[in-house]
Amino acid sequence: MNVFEWSFLAGVLTATAPVLLAALGGLLCQVAGVFNIALEGQLLWGAFVAVVVSDLTGSAWTGVAGAVAATVVFSALLSGPAVALRADPIVVAVGLNLLALGLTAFLMRQIFGSGGTYSSPELAGLPDLGELGLDVPVLREQSPLVPVALLLVAVLAFWLTRTRSGLRLRAVGQHLDAAQAVGLRVSGYQHGVTLVAGALCGLAGAQLSLGNVTLFSEGMSAGRGWIAVVAVMLSGVYPGRLLLACLLFGVAEAFGFRLQGAGLPQQAADAAPYVITLAALVLAAVARRRRRSYEHA
Amino acid sequence: MKSTPAIATAALLLLGLAACGGTDAAETAEAPPAKSIILITPNPVGTNSFLQLGVKGAEAAAKELGASFKLYESKDPTSIAQNVDAAVRAKPTVIVGISFSFDDVFTTVPKANPGQQFLQVDSCAKEQAPNLACVSFKEHEAAYLAGVEAGLLSKSGQIGVVAALDTPFIHRWIEPFFAGATSVKPAAQGTPLYVGGSNPFSDPARAKSQAQTLTGRGVDLIAAAASGGNPGVFEAVAASGGKAFGVDVNQCALSPGNVVDNVLKHVDVAEHAAIKEIFDGRTGGVKVYGLAEGGVGVNALGDDLASSGCTVAASPDVVAKVKQTRDDIFAGKITVADPLQS
Repeated sequence: MNVFEWSFLAGVLTATAPVLLAALGGLLCQVAGVFNIALEGQLLWGAFVAVVVSDLTGSAWTGVAGAVAATVVFSALLSGPAVALRADPIVVAVGLNLLALGLTAFLMRQIFGSGGTYSSPELAGLPDLGELGLDVPVLREQSPLVPVALLLVAVLAFWLTRTRSGLRLRAVGQHLDAAQAVGLRVSGYQHGVTLVAGALCGLAGAQLSLGNVTLFSEGMSAGRGWIAVVAVMLSGVYPGRLLLACLLFGVAEAFGFRLQGAGLPQQAADAAPYVITLAALVLAAVARRRRRSYEHA
Repeated sequence: MKSTPAIATAALLLLGLAACGGTDAAETAEAPPAKSIILITPNPVGTNSFLQLGVKGAEAAAKELGASFKLYESKDPTSIAQNVDAAVRAKPTVIVGISFSFDDVFTTVPKANPGQQFLQVDSCAKEQAPNLACVSFKEHEAAYLAGVEAGLLSKSGQIGVVAALDTPFIHRWIEPFFAGATSVKPAAQGTPLYVGGSNPFSDPARAKSQAQTLTGRGVDLIAAAASGGNPGVFEAVAASGGKAFGVDVNQCALSPGNVVDNVLKHVDVAEHAAIKEIFDGRTGGVKVYGLAEGGVGVNALGDDLASSGCTVAASPDVVAKVKQTRDDIFAGKITVADPLQS
């Protein structure tokens, strides 16, 4: 069986895109020293709002805009307590994740009058790039948010290493007191990135519910936000590595699907993304330790 | 006050939770009517079409038998035990529980209350007490009929199933489907793929990816047995020009023009009949509902086929073959193998 074909690469990109967008937000927070594990909840919230707004207005792009705006507001629930009030960001984020799960299920019944899954022939999804004139193999069936996600990786890498504000942001994350001492408005930076992370998670959610599929289903983020957190932990503060980590996950998921087709039991194929994640975490830790021992030698 | 709506919402939520807790202390004080039915669900009914059918069946039975009907919704499977306690104290004619979530409670509680009749729908407790009746379904018979349709309608000769998980019970929607297809097209090839992951019963994105894996390999007809993931399968076949089969209820309207038919489970019919039998004194035992008993079926066999929205309505020859296959199953000429028995 031909495992590596165009449709496989397309499957990798589809699986990667929502995770990558959310992980970019997580990376920004990591750079600024805010440990953001609320990606899962924000992703789900974004997916929900995208479907609601698209359903109400009949326009997928309004849905995307609505998801971004609403998730920025949602992420203010993290940045407020965690940055301004110095609450433990982990505790706040766990609360947000639970809130997103309950709130989307509750509002779904209020707005659509139904639980479980909402889909409707009238619900507008994001167009394929093929429909927009970009008729190349792997990208043909992707939503426009997929190249946007890839582009954002380069933009972030440039911003963090080549611009004044980006370097300052890294200073905030590396040494809070020193950054404060040179007169940086530390909390302003931290608020800012948390809200931007919210916007990115809104995009991620919209990609999941209007790009990957065109529907909303309770709990449909299904752990993708957590994979994004792991990708951030793997790659530290480097957007290039983050892209690799997210692609690794996408490959693992798409590969798992193929393995099932080749006769591997579902339970084993299911484990593929997690086994690969675990292996990557171990390898990254080993590499880091080796580097450190060189530095000390 | 700005926060009034928030407080009101919070209060409503609390009320909702309290109501779902199901202790219903006030109810127990009333003298029970001559005949009564209490139905307990493992989750809030909401728009869960499966549970809705369960409620419909019990209501219909209550109406026909002149009994009163009460519904105890559990907020999640962990609150089932409290609801069963409350129901036992209310002493109805029969206490009905839906799904395998009752396997534990219905192993112990009926033994402790030998004078109370119990009915479990769609599963059966392991150690069945004489005062517990069970209703189970021959889903494989309906899946076989859907498979016959798939075999006749597939152009590529390749069909598939996207199922939630690789568990023995879910195989009732897989092998019989393929068996039905090969009965009319011996060369037909069937491939099952499973959604899996951390939310297998509600992950339409993964279900869609799996369906795309199948369509990418030339599969043109896919049976969706992925619960909340089914709409993802419908999207995938719509994009590839293939078609899909729904499950449990009529899902043809979810994706007009893309769903051939559904593997139906008439929970309401079976439950109604089972309650009636208990009222007539035929208690305990396992009652199995297959095609012959009207417990399972496909839309092609329904009187409302034309208005069902299912595309099989446009192929009268296929419908005729399905009817003939059903008659053959009735006559014993065809026996559909049950994957759970092998």
